Parts: sequence; structure tokens; C-alpha cells
Amino acid sequence: MPMTTLLMAAVATLVFCAPGYPGGADDAQPLMDQFAKDTIASTGWSAGSFAAVYDPTEQGGLAKLGNADSVVAFMPYAFYVQHGDQLHLTPLAEADVAGIGTEERWSLVGAAAGATPPALAGYTILSVAGYAPDFVRHSALGALNLPADVKIEASGQLLSALRRVVAGEKVVVLLDQEQAVALPTLPFAAQLKVLAQSPPLPVALVVAVDSRLPAPRAKAFQTALLKMKSTSDTDTLGSLRLKRFVLPQLPAHADKP
Amino acid sequence: MKRWLGVAAVALWVSGCKAPLRPEPATPVPATVEELTAAIAADSRRSDHEPDSKVRDQLAADAGRNADACIARAPQAAACLYYHAVALGLEVRAHPTRAGELLKTMLDAASRADAADPEYDEAGPSRIRALVLTRAPGWPLGPGDPDAGLVAARRAVALRPQYPANVLALAEALAKTGDAAGARDCYARARDLAQALPTSTDRDDWLRDAEKGLQRK
Repeated sequence: MPMTTLLMAAVATLVFCAPGYPGGADDAQPLMDQFAKDTIASTGWSAGSFAAVYDPTEQGGLAKLGNADSVVAFMPYAFYVQHGDQLHLTPLAEADVAGIGTEERWSLVGAAAGATPPALAGYTILSVAGYAPDFVRHSALGALNLPADVKIEASGQLLSALRRVVAGEKVVVLLDQEQAVALPTLPFAAQLKVLAQSPPLPVALVVAVDSRLPAPRAKAFQTALLKMKSTSDTDTLGSLRLKRFVLPQLPAHADKP
Repeated sequence: MKRWLGVAAVALWVSGCKAPLRPEPATPVPATVEELTAAIAADSRRSDHEPDSKVRDQLAADAGRNADACIARAPQAAACLYYHAVALGLEVRAHPTRAGELLKTMLDAASRADAADPEYDEAGPSRIRALVLTRAPGWPLGPGDPDAGLVAARRAVALRPQYPANVLALAEALAKTGDAAGARDCYARARDLAQALPTSTDRDDWLRDAEKGLQRK
């Protein structure tokens, strides 16, 4: 039996990869089930032929993407830059996120009285995207030419990280747009400053994984995504804080990570 | 996606804010502060083991009404402020999309209860603050602040060092802030403290939580 026929018989699965952000797979599953149900309704695929699962860790997401039935994935752009080449990911759509849009700028934040780029030798960059050093070095901070000994670490505890900056440790923090916008709300905001900012970058992508989904089905899935639209915060996309999907418009040279 | 993840996280932590088991109220409509707080405690306990979300919604609404009545009767009483925080925990679980606002009010209620009587319910106000600060989504999605959670957990243990729930809260805060060895010591201590107590539902829950914590790498 041809491999594509075998795959068609299995449950095609979408993996939501979300390293660095809070939330557990069990809590997310009802939303995943609803998303899968809407996709089935929109594509006309047979009931039970498509599922969605969620993983809040990088390693867990990679493990799930290693399964042959994982044919598509939703992921932050950082994850795509870090693993797109190795996993043979092809962008199908770009997420339009409520309150952010399709693109965001990342901001490198340090102490107001501290070192400025490029004098960051010996510093550690902490970020929710720290699991993706290629993204940090080449996409978010590509223009900075970071010193070779800069360490990049993943951290979801940004408040603690920013306190370390203010305390004078050799630490800077890379914030996404939502985090950077909230910076002035911190009581110690005056002791921080934005050292650098990325160009606008996609927030999140839906991708096909390693051509596991036959081309006509991939096209049908993409068409279904582009038709989806949130009309309230309680519908499927609204519950996911998504407004809609658009065709991917990746930064120059980023279509092949 | 990110904001959604914050919302999805909420249900994780609310169950840990349960109140200790109290007797069911003697009258159908609670009237005194004691009856009202006992009714909220009973709702909290039931909600913790209730699989049906509609029933949990009803329990949250019931607890909210009783908390409001309690505050109306005795606005400065530690018991009312404390159980107001407990009732808000049930409401967060029922309405996760309002979590951000509810969590802040919950922390405020616990702080006010702490100011009124820090030792109420075996240092319950500090324990609730510790659990919320440790488990809630962090800045900027929510009021989670593991460093502050650790401070609150240490305070609960300082006030009532023999109470297993306080030691469990400290273990969790230590684990969240990266002190794995300290967390293991606390989980082991909580297990020992619980084992020394007479059989009860709380004792079973504490032993289970301690064992689960000790099994984590």
C-alpha cells in the first residue's frame, strides 16, 4: 500500500507547539478539539480524520512532530526559524493574533545605566524565545552582531529576569511585542531601557510538516484556514485569541530557514 | 496564541487553593459569619472533586453570594476576607476569561485577610497568596510572580511550620524558582508531617501531593 494511502487512513494531526508560554495540554485540549471540528467542517474531511494536540514544551513539540501522523503544525515564528530546516516545514498561513496582528517587533531590554550593544560581551540574553538561539541571533537581533560569548537562555519568568537586570547582573531580556508594551507598567520601568528592536516579524505560522499531507489536502487545509474568521472572543478562533489566518509573508530570506 | 495560553493555564492552579473541609451548615440559608464561611469551604471542597463544569459554575456562584453576604456582615473580619479569596478562586475556575481581573482581587483579599489575622486557617492568607503567585501566569499575562510567591510561602511556613499544606506550598515555590533540592526536602517534610496526622481527606490529599512532588525530577 502506498505511504500516502496509509497516512490518509491515519488521523491527520495538527500540533500546536507553544514553548515558553504558560498552559497545560489538558487545559488546552477542549480548544484543540473544537479547532479540529471546525477544520473538518470547513474542509469536508470525514469526521474523526483530523485532530489537534497541544504541547507547551520545545522537546515535547519536537517529539510530537516526529510522529508520522503529525502533518501540520501551529508554532511561534521563533520555533519555525529554529527547527524549520530540520523538520522540512512549509508555511501555509500566518496567524493574525488579537491585539498584536500578523507581525511583531522584539525588544532587547537592559539596565538604563548598563552596557549597550555591542558591548554585551559576557552577558546572558533571557527570553521566552531563548529555546531558539538562531531566531534570537539572526532574526530578532540580526542587526546587532552579538559578541560570540553572549549566552542565550530560555526563561518564562520575565519579571525575575527584569529584576536581575535592575540589580546589575550581566543580563539583558528579549521581550516580544506584548511584553514590551507592558514594560511601562512595571514599578521599576524607569531603570530599564530598550537597547535594540527587531524589524517586524511574523508572530506565528501554520506549516505543513515534511510533505506528509498530500498536496490536494494541504491546499484544502490552507483554504479552510483562510476562510476562518473570529467574530467574538468565545468562538473557536476567539478563544485562541486569534482573529484569522492570512497567506504567509515571511521576511526576506526566511522562507527557507 | 500567547494570551490564550495564559487563559488555559488558569484552571491548573485554582484547585490548590481549596479550603479545608468544614461541616455542612446546619441551616439551609447561612446567616452567621461562621455558617457563611463553612458553606464556602464546603463549596470549595465539592468543586475540587466535581467533574461537571456546570455544577462547578453553580458552586462558584453560591460561594460568591455567601462571600458577599459575609463581607456585608463583617467587612474587616479575617474569616470573610479569607473566604472571599477562596470564593474568587472558584470563580476563576468557572470563568477563566476573567482570570486576570479576578486573580488581582483574590490576591488583594488574601492580603487584607493577612493584615487582619495572619494566622487564620493555619496561615491561610499567606498560603493562598503563595499558591496564586506561584501558579498564575506571570507578567504581563497575569499576576504570577514566583519570587513573591516564595516570600509568601516562607511566611506561611514561619507562622505554621507544622501544617503540611504550608510546607507543600513552599516546596512548589522553591521548585518554581529553581531550587530543586530545597523543593525535594520540603516535599519529604510535608509527607512526614502528614503521615503523623490522623486519617482524613486532607491528609490523603497532602500525602498524594507530596509523593507527586517527590517523583518529579
